[in-house]
Amino acid sequence: MKRSTQIGLAAAGVVLVATIWANSGDDTQEDSLVYNSLAECRAAGQLSSSQCEQRFNEATANHLRDAKKFTSTAACETEYGAGSCRSAVWNGAQVVVPALAGIMLARSLSQGGGAAQPLLPPTQQACPPGSQQPECQQARSSSSSSGGSSGSYGGRSGSSSSSSRAYSTTSGAALVARSGTVSGASSASTVSRGGFGSTSHSYSSSSSS
Amino acid sequence: MRRVAIAPRHDWQDQVERLGFAFHTIDGETYWDESAAYAFTLEQIERDVEAPTDAIEQLCFAFIEKAIDDEEILARLAIPAAQWDFIRESWQRGDRNLYGRLDLAYDGTGPAKLLEYNADTPTGLFESSVVQWDWLEQAMARGALPAGCDQFNALHERLITAFGQLRAPAPYRLHLTCVQNSNEDKGTVDYLMDCAVQAGLDARFSFIEEIGLLSDGRFCDGANQPIETLFKLYPWEWLFRESYAGNLATARCQFIEPPWKAILSNKGLLAFLWEMEAGHPNLLPAFFEGDPRCAGLSPRHVRKPLYSREGANITLLERGKVLDSDDGPYGAEGFILQDAAPNLFGSAGQYAVLGSWLVASQACGLCIREDASPITKNTSRFVPHYIEA
Repeated sequence: MKRSTQIGLAAAGVVLVATIWANSGDDTQEDSLVYNSLAECRAAGQLSSSQCEQRFNEATANHLRDAKKFTSTAACETEYGAGSCRSAVWNGAQVVVPALAGIMLARSLSQGGGAAQPLLPPTQQACPPGSQQPECQQARSSSSSSGGSSGSYGGRSGSSSSSSRAYSTTSGAALVARSGTVSGASSASTVSRGGFGSTSHSYSSSSSS
Repeated sequence: MRRVAIAPRHDWQDQVERLGFAFHTIDGETYWDESAAYAFTLEQIERDVEAPTDAIEQLCFAFIEKAIDDEEILARLAIPAAQWDFIRESWQRGDRNLYGRLDLAYDGTGPAKLLEYNADTPTGLFESSVVQWDWLEQAMARGALPAGCDQFNALHERLITAFGQLRAPAPYRLHLTCVQNSNEDKGTVDYLMDCAVQAGLDARFSFIEEIGLLSDGRFCDGANQPIETLFKLYPWEWLFRESYAGNLATARCQFIEPPWKAILSNKGLLAFLWEMEAGHPNLLPAFFEGDPRCAGLSPRHVRKPLYSREGANITLLERGKVLDSDDGPYGAEGFILQDAAPNLFGSAGQYAVLGSWLVASQACGLCIREDASPITKNTSRFVPHYIEA
């Protein structure tokens, strides 16, 4: 026979020819580097409740200090999207800043997590209005819940990145991270992002053949 | 080889969607087309597709051996000099490769002719491996085809085996990446990820735009996880020219496809193979544009950019007159001219190109792309095949 004897598709939950395939589910507990909220940090149980609070307090303070300030909600939303901004008082003045969307720990949990960096909503440039990117939809719906596995090959609801969410840093860099299920065993810090992919954006079709 | 009209399953969309095949229709046009199928004899498959595919792969390896230390060849292939050592080392280290697809012209008689080698970023994999496999099972079950038919398609099994052997020790952690905004590419990568998981690997996905660089020189995914092994459905010639190009060699990352595939995924290969093995039954005469030997080509020939995907910028000429062409963004690096294949299968106003799959450098599957024009484009339809009982 010149063809496969059986085909199992773990993600689609399809087994062609009755054969039991090993469960491919991954039960290993992973470290988390990104939390969207204090509640999520506490629920994950990887940092203590007071550590979570401390990290969020730090990030909140840094957020107000570092985030770009606007004089109107409209100006802020032009850059960060509708519903992504809030009012704050900074040095006695009324300002509008992009809301805190989450925190990112600078180091792995085994190292105590390190200082927390504030994460902001993605910019309109990274996630244009109406973007179908799951990361953007995740960010715009400001929900941290996982989309779960759809078992679809090639659809927009790809199984593996559905809980990815887009953010931006206070310096304006775009970032995509998975909260809750992010593994971060690296002791090295990220020095840059986005060094690949530029060529494809000057071509209309896919990068494959 | 025959083109056989077969009634599609009345619920074919549901049937292919249940497999997770989401791009059966692209921009409103049918891509998965089961209103016909191509029938082959076992001898045609083994003698005219499988054996030549393995032979061409060996020829390609011989060419790499030659090219790797020949700066003139590497320059002619428009590979940046800064990447030559990176490519050399990957070959000398014996970095394993996963898959590739030879596009062949074949009409059922005589030797198949190599049109090009999609060595680096081939797609059409999931529909080849899974969708046409399931189509055949159902066609035999419903009596549309006699029981006992077969298909040249061991892709699924071979991919799982190959993933387990790409890196030692296995299981290892594998990252997979492709561009955002391409359902087709994402579908291919999702399928490969499924195979990798079934091979027992710790497989993770990141879009290529998410990849970052760590302070220790390694690449990382969108979650800052270091990348040690990376399957990239993204061409080497682009990686070589982007911001992180200078970090490739020092990233301590095993790439799949390996860097040496850059030597093969280039239309210049066709001219060099012909130079090496002029008259080889499975090759078409081909030369770099501007080479005086182009004068010896058939009046009907094809002009192809060194880098091109999905038929873009390919022009079919007859005595200097353009018969067919496809617009596109490629061509800055130069062109080759290749004799038009005299044995392209044509029937019912359709042309068919065979895609002969290799996994771990072994021929193991076939797909057919059909188009109303002789240039296979990204609008071409995928038509299933079977081996007659």
